Amino acid sequence: MKNLIMFWARECPHCKRMMPLVNRLEKEEGISFEKLEIWHNEENADLMRSYRDIIAPKCGGQLRTPTFLNTETKDVLCGEVKYEVLRDWASE
Amino acid sequence: MKKYWRCFICNDIHYGVKPPEQCPTCMAINAYVEVSSEEAKKIINPTESKFDQEKFRRAIEEFAKKNEFQINPDREKVKMLLTGLFNNEQNQGLKYCPCRLITKDFTEDLKLVCPCNFIIHETYQGKKDGECWCGLFIKRR
Repeated sequence: MKNLIMFWARECPHCKRMMPLVNRLEKEEGISFEKLEIWHNEENADLMRSYRDIIAPKCGGQLRTPTFLNTETKDVLCGEVKYEVLRDWASE
Repeated sequence: MKKYWRCFICNDIHYGVKPPEQCPTCMAINAYVEVSSEEAKKIINPTESKFDQEKFRRAIEEFAKKNEFQINPDREKVKMLLTGLFNNEQNQGLKYCPCRLITKDFTEDLKLVCPCNFIIHETYQGKKDGECWCGLFIKRR
């Protein structure tokens, strides 16, 4: 089982657009993401900050949402992307 | 290093590496003297200015008018972002971008206060349809 995290924010329009794609991916490919909201949950925010050295270089030097993280490979996908891009990233 | 400066004519406060040559309020020339942060805060504090979402939206519209960008015409998206900005101000003290997370390094996190300096970001600079990361500001089309 892959350990995939989606860091998202409640008032982030990119996250709102990506959430249905993530749900579709989970349904169609049997891949599951741990979805962690970061502006209204300090524990989740701290976890995202703990990955800053891994996330920031791939996200314009910052902690941006949405961020998809594979905690095993430390692979990061940042921002709003097409379904196929997310699927290929998550399947790798 | 940025410092506080006070206009000796009208008590305008400026925060920057050097004082303005001309005071933008009373137009006096060479009128600024360096003051402490404590003094600057005391002068600014009595002038309370509350902003609700509508007032902030009008302020950034005025700001955008003078530049090459505009507020995103997608009103639903703007409403969501303004809600996030005001939630962040209430919970974290400043209007931090709802689509980025603070690092807890105050100076670093000032880069996330809306409007941020998005014109240097890769999502905006050199792009025909450039926009800030969250999409509140877009290049005027």
